[in-house]
Amino acid sequence: MTPAIEIRNLSKRFHVKQGLFGKPREVRAVDGIDLALPEGATLGIVGESGCGKSTLAKLILGLLAPSEGEVRVAGQSLMALGRRERAKLIQPVFQDPFSSLNPRRRVLDVVAMPLVAQGGLSSAEIRAQSLAMLERVGISAEMAGRYPAQLSGGQRQRVAIARALVLRPRILLCDEPTSALDVSVQAQILNLLAELRRDLGITTLFISHNLAVVEHVADEVAVMYLGRFVERAPAAELFAAPRHPYTRALLASVLTPEPGLGVPDVGLGDTMPDPSNVPTGCRFHPRCPVAIPRCSTEAPPLVGGAECHLLAP
Amino acid sequence: MKKAGLYLGIAILGLITLAAIFAPLLTSHDPYAQNLDIRLSVPFWMEGANPDHLLGTDQLGRDYLARLLYGARVSLIIGVLTVIVSGVIGITMGILGGFFGGRVDDVVLFLITTRLAIPVVLVALAVVGLLGSSAVLVVLVLGLLLWDRFAVVARSTTMQVRGLDYVSAAWAAGCSTPRILISEVLPNILSHLAVVATLEMALAILLEAALSFLGLGVPPPLPSWGLMIAEGRDFMFFSAWVIWIPGIALFVLVLAINLLGDGLRDLVGDSR
Repeated sequence: MTPAIEIRNLSKRFHVKQGLFGKPREVRAVDGIDLALPEGATLGIVGESGCGKSTLAKLILGLLAPSEGEVRVAGQSLMALGRRERAKLIQPVFQDPFSSLNPRRRVLDVVAMPLVAQGGLSSAEIRAQSLAMLERVGISAEMAGRYPAQLSGGQRQRVAIARALVLRPRILLCDEPTSALDVSVQAQILNLLAELRRDLGITTLFISHNLAVVEHVADEVAVMYLGRFVERAPAAELFAAPRHPYTRALLASVLTPEPGLGVPDVGLGDTMPDPSNVPTGCRFHPRCPVAIPRCSTEAPPLVGGAECHLLAP
Repeated sequence: MKKAGLYLGIAILGLITLAAIFAPLLTSHDPYAQNLDIRLSVPFWMEGANPDHLLGTDQLGRDYLARLLYGARVSLIIGVLTVIVSGVIGITMGILGGFFGGRVDDVVLFLITTRLAIPVVLVALAVVGLLGSSAVLVVLVLGLLLWDRFAVVARSTTMQVRGLDYVSAAWAAGCSTPRILISEVLPNILSHLAVVATLEMALAILLEAALSFLGLGVPPPLPSWGLMIAEGRDFMFFSAWVIWIPGIALFVLVLAINLLGDGLRDLVGDSR
């Protein structure tokens, strides 16, 4: 069976100029990502800020052209498709519902936009389909005539979800869809997404830095570090028994509600990862608490979904 | 009280516009009808005024109030048309440069810089002097010269809007680039462009008056405030009002437009 979405060796390098005479530096934002996801599955992608999550999202959507590799949805290469065909296969939900809705358009027009862009439907049909999708996400017909500024953050995100689903895409790419919302609203939006996924059978990529959210929504989790997946495993397995040292550090860094404990020390040191200067060997070795000499010279082997020397037999 | 300037500007501009539109109802005099018997008759508040001519008459005996009212039409029409011509040119260039960046933006920036290096009044004088004066030519020359501010503002605001998620969402939703430019970008930079439009309109009206004063704007006998000042120049020592009545009209109109522009700018700033 062809996977719903397949990513092969996807890479993106940026060239950043340094001053007037400086040599341009190469930033490896996304560095050789492979991925295959079956129909209806949900993959959570986690990682710290600056690890390339958002660049990966833009690459998958086709907003950025990859330096290498390709994205295939239902067996078709997204790069080869026109904008309208691509829109029917994959749709995004962005992080900030305050900047993802055009402030000059009414809610109904925002949701109708993908249908209008596709063409071929009468305005009555477009209106009916848009209203149906809005109702499905919990936005009443009465609210459809309002402008985004008149809605709350949670309602705006519902509108953004309706816009993403109105074309019935195969893949839904959620880029931190709840991190701009209040905690009480986050749960509502997550439940709505889970319900729609189940009903419509949509394959979902869920990018987040919030581990609790990912644990809640994802079947499978990929941990990203410096532009690469360092570990991939089923969600239950990954949270119960993380294999890669970075995943362990990430799970250990979760703040507890217990007062007085302070910020946990995860033993990663103070150095920040720098995508313009990716370490040789294992990219995590300068921060790894259990690194051995081999880590700085050899690329790590892939063992049971994790790229780490220590896991090698 | 913050919006007092805005309301005052709208009120004055509205009054002048209404006066220009309904000029035939406000005065029974023909602005072109000469009557050499009553040349330079004084306005109503001076000794020996002709009760038939409220603001007196000019050196050819034409009713000054009628010429002032019909002259408002010339100023407003030239101002609005110039803004339309320059707005279309400048906004198109600015949006294209700001949205696409790269080479397109290099070309747009080069054109803006080139335009800024050209002295407007000098070129306008040269062109009108070469091709003869007409209202259409004044509009075209000013329109083709005054687009730079539109382009600069449209370009920078488009750059801000381009990176926002709703533009990415429109892209991902399959919208064509022209649709993104027209229905996603343009409506969101329009408020900034409205401010530029008022500034440019005031500038165009002043330039038209200046060109007319120099004899290179609209041709006589069309009533233009600039032309009225030019024609009254020879009589200003003994009949100063011939100059200062159209002068004040011009001042008030430009002031009103600028008040409106300042008010709009504050309003746009508030909504951010």
